[in-house]
Amino acid sequence: MKYLLILVIFLISFSTKAQNNAIATGEKLVYTASYNMSGILNEIAQVTMETSEAKTSKATLLRLKCTATTYSKWDNFFKIVDLYESYVNPKNLTPYLYKRDINEGDYYKFMKYTFDHKTNTIKSQQRKKNNKEENKNFSINAGTKDIVSTLYNIRLFDYKAMSVGAKKSFTIVFDREEIKAQVTYLGKETLSTNIGKKECYKLAISSSESVLQGKNNNLLWLTADENKIIVYGKFKIPVGNGELKIKSAQGLKN
Amino acid sequence: MKRLFTILAMTAAIISVILSVLPVSNLAILPAIASLLFGLTAFYLSKKTGEVKKIIQFTFLLTIVSLAITTYKAVFTKTEVTNNTELKEKETESKENAIEDLEELDLDDISLD
Repeated sequence: MKYLLILVIFLISFSTKAQNNAIATGEKLVYTASYNMSGILNEIAQVTMETSEAKTSKATLLRLKCTATTYSKWDNFFKIVDLYESYVNPKNLTPYLYKRDINEGDYYKFMKYTFDHKTNTIKSQQRKKNNKEENKNFSINAGTKDIVSTLYNIRLFDYKAMSVGAKKSFTIVFDREEIKAQVTYLGKETLSTNIGKKECYKLAISSSESVLQGKNNNLLWLTADENKIIVYGKFKIPVGNGELKIKSAQGLKN
Repeated sequence: MKRLFTILAMTAAIISVILSVLPVSNLAILPAIASLLFGLTAFYLSKKTGEVKKIIQFTFLLTIVSLAITTYKAVFTKTEVTNNTELKEKETESKENAIEDLEELDLDDISLD
């Protein structure tokens, strides 16, 4: 009986380590981000999520790249050129290297995390506009991921097996701090998108920090197929609210 | 009262025109509607007293111009990213640096297959 119990626990723990069967190399998702100004949505930036391979002499990793660029009409007022990258294990999306290079108006910040999963530590490097470099090592919990690999990791959950209201928790490291976040499965909905009419999994995202405000104000819709791509998102942050809409999708795995 | 509505209509019309030429042209709709409402009220009040001032008609003209610009921009202006060379350069440079960093790491045998 004792051995049976151990075997069951082993199987459960093994199955919860999500395997990547949704994300392929060469996938490119383009989104339009809109921001709500006085009740009117304005298209602000183009957000791209792209995957490619990154070869080193020892291994071939998956490069997850997210970029955000303001539409040209805004450039004279406020220009954003953001680049977020994560170099992950292609099988389970465990991150090894994370880079964030943001250029927003006059604000510039560069952040690099090098993950050491054996000691559960991160070697971080931060650089700001004045070129002042700050290196800091800190500990993380096992399984903590960066924001980019988390966004992709959400696509690996088995929503088919989840009942409405079921929750999944995960920890994100952002600005050298660990943030506990949670995804709540809210059921299925059919949405009309730029890539066609899609049946979607509706998810609510909440976090321990005040970055994401409200309980059900931050929502994501993922296609209810094997690819589970994000097609629509609604967000509420301290400075306002907006939405993310898919524009095009290429190179999907399934 | 008539004067107040005329001033409000004129102010809203000017704000509407300014917003319509900015990238936030969608927002021009709100002051345009306000300008029309204030303008119509001022027009009605003026008609009651028998004299309609030219300035009220001018606010209508401004509002129509702002609405025309907003509509034109909403229909014909494409929202696109035209100049992304900065980002492309950043991406290439970042990947090259990342590969160098990854080479230093003690990675297990990881492959895409």
